[in-house]
Parts: sequence; C-alpha cells; structure tokens
Amino acid sequence: MARVIRCIADNVVSPLGTTSRANYDSVRAGKSGLARYESMGNITTPFVLSRVDRGMIDGLCAELGIQGNYTFFEKFLLCSSVQAVREAGIDASSERVLFIVSTTKGNVSLLGQPEEGIADERVLLAKAAAQVTRYYGNPNKPIVVCNACISGVCAQIEAMRALRSGRYDYAVVIGADEQSPFIISGFLSFKAISDEPCRPFDKDRRGLNLGECAATVVLEASDQKKSGWELVCGAIRNDANHISGPSRTGEGSYLALMEVLKECRRSELAFVNVHGTATAYNDEMESIALYRAGLIDVPVTGLKGYYGHTMGAAGIMESILSMYAVRDNTVLATRGYSEQGTTYPVSVSSGTRECKGSEFIKLLSGFGGSNAALLYRFAE
Amino acid sequence: MERKGLDFVVLNQGNAQLTELYRSQIGDWPKFFKMDTLSKAGFVASELLLKKLGERRCGSEEFIQSRAIVLFGSTASLCADRNYQETIQNKDNYYPSPALFVYTLPNIVTGEIAIRNHWRGESSFYVLEAPDAAQMAFHLACAFQDSVTESILAGWVDSRNNDDFQVFMTLIRKEDAADTDWLAGQLQLIINDLNK
Amino acid sequence: MEELILKLKQEIIEVLNLEDIKPEDIDNDAPLFGEGLGLDSIDALELIVLMEKNYGIKLQDPAKGKEIFKSISVMADYIQKNRTR
Repeated sequence: MARVIRCIADNVVSPLGTTSRANYDSVRAGKSGLARYESMGNITTPFVLSRVDRGMIDGLCAELGIQGNYTFFEKFLLCSSVQAVREAGIDASSERVLFIVSTTKGNVSLLGQPEEGIADERVLLAKAAAQVTRYYGNPNKPIVVCNACISGVCAQIEAMRALRSGRYDYAVVIGADEQSPFIISGFLSFKAISDEPCRPFDKDRRGLNLGECAATVVLEASDQKKSGWELVCGAIRNDANHISGPSRTGEGSYLALMEVLKECRRSELAFVNVHGTATAYNDEMESIALYRAGLIDVPVTGLKGYYGHTMGAAGIMESILSMYAVRDNTVLATRGYSEQGTTYPVSVSSGTRECKGSEFIKLLSGFGGSNAALLYRFAE
Repeated sequence: MERKGLDFVVLNQGNAQLTELYRSQIGDWPKFFKMDTLSKAGFVASELLLKKLGERRCGSEEFIQSRAIVLFGSTASLCADRNYQETIQNKDNYYPSPALFVYTLPNIVTGEIAIRNHWRGESSFYVLEAPDAAQMAFHLACAFQDSVTESILAGWVDSRNNDDFQVFMTLIRKEDAADTDWLAGQLQLIINDLNK
Repeated sequence: MEELILKLKQEIIEVLNLEDIKPEDIDNDAPLFGEGLGLDSIDALELIVLMEKNYGIKLQDPAKGKEIFKSISVMADYIQKNRTR
C-alpha cells in the first residue's frame, strides 16, 4: 500500500518572518537574521547569532490566541504549528493525527534559569512536547526526535513512515530550538563558532553561527492524485567513525544520498540543499559525499548564512524554503560564500541562479556521526 | 509451535555495576571511561547482548548498513546536561567542558555503539514520556520501511543522575516486527524487568 | 620542571579520564596524539580548558594547540614559560 505522503501546510517563524512566505521573500532579498554579540550572560567570547525577539513571539502568540503558562521553547513550537495546522484545516484533536517534535535541547535553559510556574520536569523533552499535544487536545502520546542536528529531517522521515503504516492520516512535524547560553557556550568550547557571519564552503570559512527558528510541516497520507509536494523517501546513516567530528570520507552522508538517489529522477533534480555549517570539517566532508554520490555538478545551496544553524528546526525550515525555491525556479544564493574552499568544487554560488526541475534533496549531518537525507518531489 | 521470544539484557544497578561489567566482560574499549552514564549504560548493555547472541563482529575494514540502532528514553541526556551546566553556571568558575558538552545529546549513545560495531545503518533516538511498549513497537516496525534495515538493536536507556540508570537492549529482526502486537507484548515483558 | 611534569601528567589522566594509565606509563617525549596516548580532537579541546583553568594560559586557536600538545615535555615547557598561575 504505497500511499503518497504530501505536505499540505507549512510554517516558519524566525527573525526573518512569521510565515513561510515572509521568510522566503526575506531570504530571496538577501536579508539575514545574523548579528554579532560581544557577550551574553557568563559568555565573554564574541559570537554570531540569529536570535528571535521574545516580544515578537509573545505578540504572535497573543495574535494567535495561544494562552497559557509556556516556556519560550513551547511558545515557539505552538506559534509555528498553530499557523500550519490552521492552514491545513485538519482536526488536530483526532487520534488519526500524529504530532512529532524535533529538538536538540528543548527547555534546557530551565537548568540555568528555572521559571516561575514552570515545573522542573518540563526540562524533559517529552514533557515539553506534551504541552503541545495537550494544547491541541490530541490523544496520542508525545514523541520527540532527538537525533542531534539531523532531527528535523529524521522527524519528517518518521512521519512519512508512520503515515505509510496506515495508522495515521496526518502528521504535524514541528522543529524548534532555543539558543540559550547552554548551547552557545558548548559550541564555543568546541572552538566551532565564528565571530563573523558564516561562510559556507568558502576557503576562508571560520566556523558556524547559531540561530533560532521554529518550523512546521503538516503531512497527509493520500491515495488520491493531487498537485503538491510529495515526500518521496529519506534515509538516516551513521559514519561509525567519531562522536563529534564528521567522517573524513563522508561515509554516512554518502550512504544517505545514495539511498535517496534510488528514487530520484536526476533530470528533475533542481538542487541539493546542504548542511553547510561553514566549519572546516563539515563543508569539506559534504563536498566529498556529493562528489562520491555523483552530484558534484548539481547546484548546491546552503541557508546557514541567513539563519545560522537552527538545530532541531533546520531540517524542517530548510526543506520548506527549498520547496518555495523550487517553485520559484530559483537556487537561492549561499549567503556568505565567496571563493571555493573544498577539495571538490561543489556547485555553490554567492548569487541566485535559475533552475528547472521538480525535485530537491535535503542533506544534514550531526553529532553522534549522524547523517540524513530526504527527497521531495512536486507533482503537478 | 511457540514463537521464540526476544533475547535481551536489562541493567539498572548503578555505575559500579557498569564498571564491573566492563572490566569483567568487555575490557578492550578504553573510551568507555570517557562516556557519561547514559552512554556507558547503553554501551555495556549492547555489548552484553551481542555476546549473548554470539554474533560475529565486523572486521577492521568491514562496515555494514543492515543493522539499525533505535533507542528510546525519557530523560535523554538530562544527567549529562546537568554535569555540563555546572561548568558554565558560575561566572567565577566558568570553564565550559567540551568533553561534557559532547554527551549532552542522547543520540551519542547510538554513535558510540555504531563506532564500536562498525554499523553504518540508521541510528535514531526518540524521547518518550515513559517506556510504552506499544509506542515503541510501532516506531520500531516503522524503521523497517528502510529496505536496507534487516535488524535493529533496540532499547530503552535513561539516566537521572550519575549513579542511576535503567537500560534494556534487545535485537529485533524484520520478522519480529511483522506483528506489532506480538512485538509490544515482548517489549512489555522486558520493561517489566526494567523496573525490578 | 620534574614537579610540573608529574603534576601535568596527573591532571591529564584525570581530566581526560585515562582510567588505567599511571604517570609512570606516560613517556615525556612520546606523541600525545595519533599514536602514544592516542588522544583525539575532543581531548585537545579539553587540554585547552586545562591550560586556562590550571595555568591561566588562554589559547584561542586550536591549531596552535596541536604544536604545544606534541608531548608532555613540549607542553610542560610551554606552560613554564607562559603560565600566569
């Protein structure tokens, strides 16, 4: 029973807008949410971060009628998903609707700064996710994908599988992460953060930037032929090499790519939206994986130069923007890129390019040696 | 004919148990001592299970994709999170530790197991409110939709503090997941042992 | 210098969780990375923290670390010359 899995609604909330369309238009116009911070709390090393205005989120929640004692992270999940769920026009309280949350650290900021009226147990990821299912009156038990930076792609893949099983008709997949001092200090301790806007694939790249974003896709399982974005397939593969550094030969990324390429119609492949964090190792590894997978001539685009690394939201937000880009026949500029800086010359550009085709691949890597890829196709 | 139940390992007796088991049953992976409690628990339980199953290990240049690792838990990396938080909490003693930070993601457990065993298949971590057998069985069955996956090292791993953990590991073959009710029943038997 | 070398070895063993290794097992001139103790990239980052915490030496560039952490002798020498604690 090969049901078609279709994206019927989407939303992105970030410093660049509170809807997917607003975000796409901002990125198309070259805007970025990145800003340099000299310090934050106990952190005294400068870093670059794309941070969402808390007042903006509170205002958005008020506008959407979201009331309740929620942490920032939970408000983030809600204000994005509420918009997508409304657009989808589904009954989110139905047992045929599965909610999946993608996040790396959830409410971890509660460890450093407990909040009035928020129970300690909310630091547990499923308890935070339960705030969402409870908000919608959804009877299904919460499930959180916590697979490092690839979580957003994994969550979509798991939703696809859950829908294909026949048990559910819809899946609401929400990804978000708050960039608290916990995460920022951690990446600084790894000397992985640049103090200037990041430069994916550039020969002078100096590290990643962090970012905040919440993104949602609503997927449906359908036996009908309809126009729309189909989630065709996805794969998750481990390097089996090192817990924090990527495999020098891009093993996991290569394997994930090869798996999704089995269903890809090469003539229809518009571009590959990569992880492109602008660390020395990641971008080099991705160039190798793309080369080994025979994709060195396919246009490549990276969004970290607009948003920074948005962790749990990345896989979802970057997929959504890719959908808008393909429909716009556009390969978005890889902001921050200037001069080729990887062993294999990936087809990345600092300017926008035209593209044809109805498919894109989303590729991500993360701590724990994890890698994931998915393939979306627009059917007319 | 009665169907063969799942082989499994359950551990929950504190850090000393993990170290003792490592020294007496494993002993050839010094990286063990760098791991946080969650990873130690997952690592040791997986090693004991593989020993129990008598599986051949991959050669030094051999890697396989057919074995997935899918773990569940409710605390995720909370214990490691607290340890790391301590290194950044105090302005006067502010020394963020990269070795602690790297363990503040529960999927690192799957990474450690993948590295040890040369498994390049799927590795996933799901956070649930509690070890729910039906919920776990459903998502494990879903993992077999990846046509490359022939078997899954599945388990539950939790750690509330440095000395406290609960872990079970089991091996699920494709045919074990064909009937999710049966699989849930098997997982429930293991979960019953987890809390003893 | 002898005292510093011993202290350094003990600190490294503790901070890097080198459980079954004693100071006398570490050769002063043996490489710390690659062969020898077989330390990795995360260990290198922890050594950078150790330098600051215990000796007040700030290293911004991890690449510089690779040179300084070549061996215990090289490391001790660098600390002796640059320590502020």
